[in-house]
Amino acid sequence: MSSAAQEFLRSAALKSADLTHRQIIRRGIDQYSAANDKGRSRFADWEAARQRCHEIKWEALNNLDRYLLEFENRVKERGGHVFWAEDSAEACRYITELAVSRGVRKMVKSKSMVAEEIHLSPALEKAGIQAIETDLGEYIVQLRNEPPYHIVTPAMHLTRKDIADLFKEKLGDVDTDDPVELVAVARRALRRDFFSAEMGISGANFLVADAGMIALTTNEGNGRLCTSVPRIHVALAGIEKVIPRLQDLALFWPVLATAGTGQPITCYNTLIGGPRKPNEVDGPEEFHVVLLDNGRTELLADVEQRDVLHCIRCGACLNVCPVFRTVGGHTYGTTYPGPIGSVLTPHLRGIDEFHHLSYASSLCGACTDACPVKIDLHHHLLENRRNAVNHSARPWAERMGFKIWQWTMQSASRFRILGGLARMTLRITHSLGLDGTALDPMGPWSKNHAAPRVPEKSFRALWGKNNAGN
Amino acid sequence: MPETENPSREKILARIRTALREPAPHHEPVKAGPIFAPVTDLLDRFQKECGINITEFVAVPNLHVSASAIKEILAALPPGEIFVQDSPDLRELAAEWQDGRTIQWSSEGGPKESAQATISACEALVAQTGSVLVSAACGGRGASVVAPVHIVVATINQLLPDIDAALARVQERGTVAQNSFLCLITGSSRTADIEKILVMGAHGPRRLIVVLAMS
Repeated sequence: MSSAAQEFLRSAALKSADLTHRQIIRRGIDQYSAANDKGRSRFADWEAARQRCHEIKWEALNNLDRYLLEFENRVKERGGHVFWAEDSAEACRYITELAVSRGVRKMVKSKSMVAEEIHLSPALEKAGIQAIETDLGEYIVQLRNEPPYHIVTPAMHLTRKDIADLFKEKLGDVDTDDPVELVAVARRALRRDFFSAEMGISGANFLVADAGMIALTTNEGNGRLCTSVPRIHVALAGIEKVIPRLQDLALFWPVLATAGTGQPITCYNTLIGGPRKPNEVDGPEEFHVVLLDNGRTELLADVEQRDVLHCIRCGACLNVCPVFRTVGGHTYGTTYPGPIGSVLTPHLRGIDEFHHLSYASSLCGACTDACPVKIDLHHHLLENRRNAVNHSARPWAERMGFKIWQWTMQSASRFRILGGLARMTLRITHSLGLDGTALDPMGPWSKNHAAPRVPEKSFRALWGKNNAGN
Repeated sequence: MPETENPSREKILARIRTALREPAPHHEPVKAGPIFAPVTDLLDRFQKECGINITEFVAVPNLHVSASAIKEILAALPPGEIFVQDSPDLRELAAEWQDGRTIQWSSEGGPKESAQATISACEALVAQTGSVLVSAACGGRGASVVAPVHIVVATINQLLPDIDAALARVQERGTVAQNSFLCLITGSSRTADIEKILVMGAHGPRRLIVVLAMS
């Protein structure tokens, strides 16, 4: 078992038994569900919206080179720079070197999952550059030195009291746990940073090919300040974020909001292309877009799972997942938690280390139903299980076990004999009082479940007896 | 500025092209009805949506009267300067509401943090979501995010049925090409990051006010 898998099991056992944690998560997600139901009802046809989103993303991904080049050309025409990064190291290096060469000491960041993926903040800090998260949830988890708990709501595992205590410790002079006051405290602290930072970092929800602009969705407005006030703006995005047309946003903006939070539309849907133009009032002098591959082209080559790249990072699959709700976001130990993370992470970080996540699922399919771009998530989990088995040699005992099982199942008489043997063994270990000990063949099962008593007769025997006259 | 060096660009493009040699299965588009119900009564819908997204909506008979509406709004704000988009219309109106207030015009640079409110025009209003579409030409990027109050002065002919129509308009008019920034604003800044409780005025304005001239 990989160390990541062991850590998952350890944390899952702890978190699923932590009833306070489960209550906090349930409350948050219940509110989301109510808002999401209401949001979907604003569409004349939500299923048609999902289908159309799927088609647009399909078109974008299956012509990815063309749309990326169109995007790149348009951004350059607008006076922006486009950098193509093969992996995390190259992306971090570009941004760090850019910052150092421009004398940047402080950087404000708006929420970006890709920045988490490439571990940008530690890389910047190593170069002596302070990187401050400005989304309230991200700011909170950064102060706690923790990764985000959820793609959309990074601090959903914390109560107002946790946050008040944190602010008191880190910011001082806080004597309230009123959310309005706490937001005001963060607003004041972060305002200073917005106006003193030399560089702003943002993600991008979409890269709009025909406009040469990035689209950035935010409720708080932090993403807007990050991209308006500092003199350099760097936008960081996976190559799969490209969409063909500006007009596509008339659908994607409401869909992202509905799936993400249940809002009809998010507060600020911003389009940015290039630095400030000569006749414009304000805005950065430099605009850079970093396009990240980091394993995405390998996923693109997998036609069976290419649609995983359709993901718009709305977090809907996390919210509906019974496993996520029980074990929580941090248990996954990955940048992207929940069903999408379980599908994606083995591709991005290696199937040997992360295939256990394919089993962090009840295969109920709620994620697939919730996905606004119709990614077939639960089937991809199954495919990853298959790929993992084919990819690496399984333990000797497992292979032997399946050989015996296969041999048994191929003949009625072998099935009868071996079934009888198994029943007899279980009766003997039970009568010897070995249940739950190391010698109990049902041990691994009965550790977490009540083991059923072994019946006196097999199904076959009962059938034969009851239907003897027929 | 020199061309960005891109050692991995060709490699990534080559990998994409190799990957796409094998086509992904494509499901035939399912026949479906309209995704959104068409918006019919624009003004009614806009007003309703403003109520939902917490935008303050003030209708005035004409642009001239909007000055008195602005004056009333500003009277309730603490003393301090007002940032205003420098346009002939807004210059003309300012004479009527100024009342001793310091005005910083957008032609003098972006809004300062000390601004009590910003006043700008917009590119379009969207009835479907009760939104305001602004561009860099509407007083710059900071005009709609830096101050605690943002007042948008609009006219009824700017009200469009949906986002689709608004995006089509800014593209047709060249606004997209001419501006480095556009933003579809729906309500004022908010967060629900603490226990999912809605708090207004996270980083941007606490109040968004649309003053709509009906003629």
